[in-house]
Amino acid sequence: MRKWVLPDFVEDVLPPTAARMERTRRALLDTFAASGYELVNPPLVEHLDALLTGTGKDLEHNTFKLIDPISGKLLGVRPDITPQVARIDATYFPDDTARRFCYAGEVLRTHAALGGSRALMQVGAELFGEASVSGDVEIVKLMIESARAVNASPLLLDCGHVGVFKALADHFELSSKATAAVDAALAAKSASALDDIKSLSVEARSVFATLTGLFGPAKTVLQRARASLPRNADVTAALDQLDAVSAAIVDSGAQCSLDLADLPGLDYHTGLVFVAYLQNTSPTTSAGSHYNASVVARGGRYDGVGESFMQSGKGRAATGFSFVDLRALTEVTSQ
Amino acid sequence: MGGDEFLITFALSKGRILDDTRPLLRAAGVDVTEDPESSRKLILATERADVRVVLVRASDVPTYVQYGGADIGISGKDTLMETDTTGLYEPLDLKIATCRLMVAVPDDTDYEALVQRGRRLRVATKYIDTARAHFAKKGVHVDLIKLYGSMELAPLVGLADAIVDVVSSGATLKANKLKAVEKIADISARLIVNQAALKTKREALMPIIESFAKSVSK
Repeated sequence: MRKWVLPDFVEDVLPPTAARMERTRRALLDTFAASGYELVNPPLVEHLDALLTGTGKDLEHNTFKLIDPISGKLLGVRPDITPQVARIDATYFPDDTARRFCYAGEVLRTHAALGGSRALMQVGAELFGEASVSGDVEIVKLMIESARAVNASPLLLDCGHVGVFKALADHFELSSKATAAVDAALAAKSASALDDIKSLSVEARSVFATLTGLFGPAKTVLQRARASLPRNADVTAALDQLDAVSAAIVDSGAQCSLDLADLPGLDYHTGLVFVAYLQNTSPTTSAGSHYNASVVARGGRYDGVGESFMQSGKGRAATGFSFVDLRALTEVTSQ
Repeated sequence: MGGDEFLITFALSKGRILDDTRPLLRAAGVDVTEDPESSRKLILATERADVRVVLVRASDVPTYVQYGGADIGISGKDTLMETDTTGLYEPLDLKIATCRLMVAVPDDTDYEALVQRGRRLRVATKYIDTARAHFAKKGVHVDLIKLYGSMELAPLVGLADAIVDVVSSGATLKANKLKAVEKIADISARLIVNQAALKTKREALMPIIESFAKSVSK
């Protein structure tokens, strides 16, 4: 093999893209700083156990591992920075005040996402200690504002809330096996996959089938959800939060849609989840670019993740987002 | 590539899926405007100016839709079971192109005895991952042999003890002195949709999906 051939799914960034990426990174961090988010720089490697907490739970198979020659312990190259920021909040600042952190750094994954790279530059912000919906609103607004600062518009924010599904799973007393099967069926929006889950009651099956169709413009989805889902305090609370967040999104000048069946990271997300798409850069029209550039950022609430690090075992409220691939973001915003 | 940002690309495969899908396309007002069997074109126009059809190999349909090369497509459940379906929604069972994914062995083979003898079973199939998962669930050790077609031949020439393949009428098995002994799954064609496309082109895609749903439930 020739020495200059790079491994699969990693790449050099050349002029002028590299300079543009740097400008984008600075503009994002400046926007975060102006809103009181302080920069942290966690290390590229750390003990594997620490990386696979909270929002990192899904990432074990996606993490490069190595043995530390000094301690003999297993280290991981970070596949995500959010768990590191949660560790920093939990270990250095163990009081109850709200704290705001931001970061920019490279992450490494063993498998590339569709059309993406294995080495990604990620830039994000995390808010700790703000449990109410005002925390979600603050994070969503910051995401929109920072995207605007780097010309990533028009944006569509597609929001979900894992609380709706969790409340329904409790309501119908689903076993953990049934919960996983329903989660998979909802992820595929497949009502026919629900029919294959024999342990579901007729009523549960019909409610979850309704959930697969509850996506689209915020107002209509909320109306249909309130009319068709079982009356339950937790469901209502989740829908009220979505109502407040979607109003804030529209207020900030972005479009908002809801999807009550999209439940990324069900084991660590605890509330609002959202994905930001750049409109008009759908794969068909971005011919010539090999990036699946539509998704620019992902975020959500993950209360309690710091608890693995706390002496008291008390988790912190946490919510945040990250721009998942700075290079792809730079390419679509400089077109 | 046109500049029309609402252009929808629909991925289909020639043969049974296309034949069975055309009535649904017609009902949704997006039937192809030239005969796909005689045309050599890979991109076909439809009755709607903003919708086009691309013809790809059946096993490539999920890939096109995952990467956004197509927004929507129709794929057999057998292909989907064999694919990592990240990035796809599968909202509709179209209940067409139905068949079953089966284990088959030569007529004179005692399958129950075969799986219990403790030796590794040689299985020829193009459905490697699905077959591995099926036999792992049964606790049977298998050596999988990847073939791309004419699976029925493998046991006849001593290449394999059993095959895993889709069976519709069973006529091919019968003609080659094989018998189906175990069902792995019922198979039918599914409507698949690119996740980002469903979010960003919802207004354009939903009428087509809803029309398909209506045709299916009739």
